Amino acid sequence: MSGVVVVLERVPGGIASVCGEAAGAARALAGGGPVVGLLVGPGDSTAATELAVDKVLTADGPEFEHPSTAQLGALAAAAADAAPATTILFPGTARGRDGVGRTAIRWGASAATSVTEVTRDESGSLHVRRPVFGGRATEELELPGPRHVLSLKPHAFPLPPARSPPASSEPLAIPDSPKSSRPVEVTGFTPTAGGKGPELGDASIVVSGGRGLRSPENFGLVEELAESLGAAVGASRAVTDAGWRPGSYQVGQTGRAVSPQLYIALGISGAIQHIVGMVSSRVIVAVNSDPHAPIFQVADYGIVGDALQIVPALTREVRKARGL
Amino acid sequence: MEIAVLVKPVPDAETRLRPDASGQELDPEGVKWVAAGYDESAIEQALLLRESAPGTTVRAFSYGPIARAEEVLRSAIALGCDAATSVEAPPGTPPDGLAVARALGLAVARHPASLVLCGKQAGDDESGIVGPAVAELLGLPDFGVAVNVRWEGGIERLSIQRSVEGGLEGVRVTLPALVSLQQAWNDPRTAKLPNILKSRKAPIERIPVADVAAAIAPSASLLARRVAFRLPPPRTGAKMIEYSSPDDAAQKLVRILREEAKVFP
Ligand SMILES: Cc1cc2nc3c(=O)[nH]c(=O)nc-3n(C[C@H](O)[C@H](O)[C@H](O)COP(=O)(O)OP(=O)(O)OC[C@H]3O[C@@H](n4cnc5c(N)ncnc54)[C@H](O)[C@@H]3O)c2cc1C
Ligand SMILES: Nc1ncnc2c1ncn2[C@@H]1O[C@H](COP(=O)(O)O)[C@@H](O)[C@H]1O
Repeated sequence: MSGVVVVLERVPGGIASVCGEAAGAARALAGGGPVVGLLVGPGDSTAATELAVDKVLTADGPEFEHPSTAQLGALAAAAADAAPATTILFPGTARGRDGVGRTAIRWGASAATSVTEVTRDESGSLHVRRPVFGGRATEELELPGPRHVLSLKPHAFPLPPARSPPASSEPLAIPDSPKSSRPVEVTGFTPTAGGKGPELGDASIVVSGGRGLRSPENFGLVEELAESLGAAVGASRAVTDAGWRPGSYQVGQTGRAVSPQLYIALGISGAIQHIVGMVSSRVIVAVNSDPHAPIFQVADYGIVGDALQIVPALTREVRKARGL
Repeated sequence: MEIAVLVKPVPDAETRLRPDASGQELDPEGVKWVAAGYDESAIEQALLLRESAPGTTVRAFSYGPIARAEEVLRSAIALGCDAATSVEAPPGTPPDGLAVARALGLAVARHPASLVLCGKQAGDDESGIVGPAVAELLGLPDFGVAVNVRWEGGIERLSIQRSVEGGLEGVRVTLPALVSLQQAWNDPRTAKLPNILKSRKAPIERIPVADVAAAIAPSASLLARRVAFRLPPPRTGAKMIEYSSPDDAAQKLVRILREEAKVFP
């Protein structure tokens, strides 16, 4: 028996979807042991209890509204001792991943982040695979036991169905906190400009447009297709440099790295600096008027043609297929 | 006021990746080692903070095989860092972030700093383990994915912006603390030739390897062992969709995404 604690991160209106994926992965790792969610921060716990966990432990004091990495680490270690668990899974979010190294030191565990596959051997070691060099290579690591702290790469594991009836929840016995464990003093929040639809780094589908769209007005076609698919919108640097869309849209070496289930590149040539930011996507589709565009080398499916005609047709077809 | 910057040597972007004969590591043959991209942002941020707080010194730290570590430290000095400490990796130590953090934690503890800056993740292993682990070892709070760091009314506090899911979070930080940088808003400066030449002769403090080994020892039984380093199978090029009209292309693609690739929402 080797229980697992899954650290849950609150997002507006629920729990980050990557936590649900982690709960599914935890079940396979727990080998019959408990899978316990740790919900930090004040607020409703319904969404947490519908994840595929056996129990939810809560730390809902006001001092945990903006938890620091040190607070998360201390709470995760306490939850693991209570569960009992030998593995702690942090969400693959910016804040979640920071918890890994800190908690591993504190709790005396081995550690890995952005894991895409994980198995346990008879000796209690974990064997993990993870992308390195921006997805241009992978490494396989053996992590000695008995304790492990991991974060999973978003969308590398399937999302299990919601749980019914909901899991029970109870308060975690809060440990004494060290001096470095003050909450984060948050002074403000500016949502990403133009942020309609899911967040780029978290979306399971990303639709990106490049200079091939020809004008900022035409780039709206990319956004309409994305909306029909419930996808996030990305762009090449040619688009953000030209000011058609803000820099937060940029995918690539000097922008965001994404690895969704589906990446659709529209009018993007496929420069290496763009490729490194999206090549680890599971399925890649490219639409480009030039049959020799390098993007077709990394794509799984290609359409040679004018994006200004193909994209609206695709949006219509997607809406029809989804009954929108 | 002391600022510490952690700078990791990584293969430069032009490196052709391939496994070595053991199949466990990147073949180091011909690799040029440079400061990791986000670490350049950290250096730039340290130098900007120094400009607005006279009397501040910036010390760069690097862990690794000594030649690699000192190469990137010289580039940090050429950019304007005041001092540098190399932390020699004991031969045979697995390339694990917990070992790196213990080694760097020892070195930084010998030059107590109010602010430790590092990269969000290094361009090779992309772990993001080292920064928060160093913070835990030094008893500092840590703040990740910062894109902009400024003094707030003196040198006791910083105001930073962090690029978290969904937007930019503003945070007030009371020092001492560790801050890890994502892309800085300002493009990192480049070194001027005379400074590059001067940096070749600059003194670099070395932490004795026996001390480093002793610092790593508490994590020795926890270190990850790399058993394989692989390249993905080469992509064979796209399956091209033949079509008679845009609507036909759209129908075919939706059918493929649904039935063959199984990624249709
Ligand atoms: C240091 C550095 C960092 C960089 N970082 C990034 C980065 O992070 N992200 C990034 O994206 N780039 C980055 N770049 C820029 C990169 O090299 C390319 O210049 C950029 O990606 C090109 O964008 P694009 O494909 O939209 O434009 P182009 O290269 O101009 O390609 C446009 C494509 O659209 C096709 N096209 C034209 N008309 C149509 C039509 N009607 N229908 C369909 N297709 C059409 C063309 O055939 C062409 O392939 C970086 C460059 C440098 C030097
Ligand atoms: N060998 C090293 N020497 C100095 N700093 C390092 C080293 N390894 C990691 N770091 C720092 O920790 C950050 C995160 O690295 P990593 O955990 O390898 O992704 C880097 O951006 C550096 O600032």
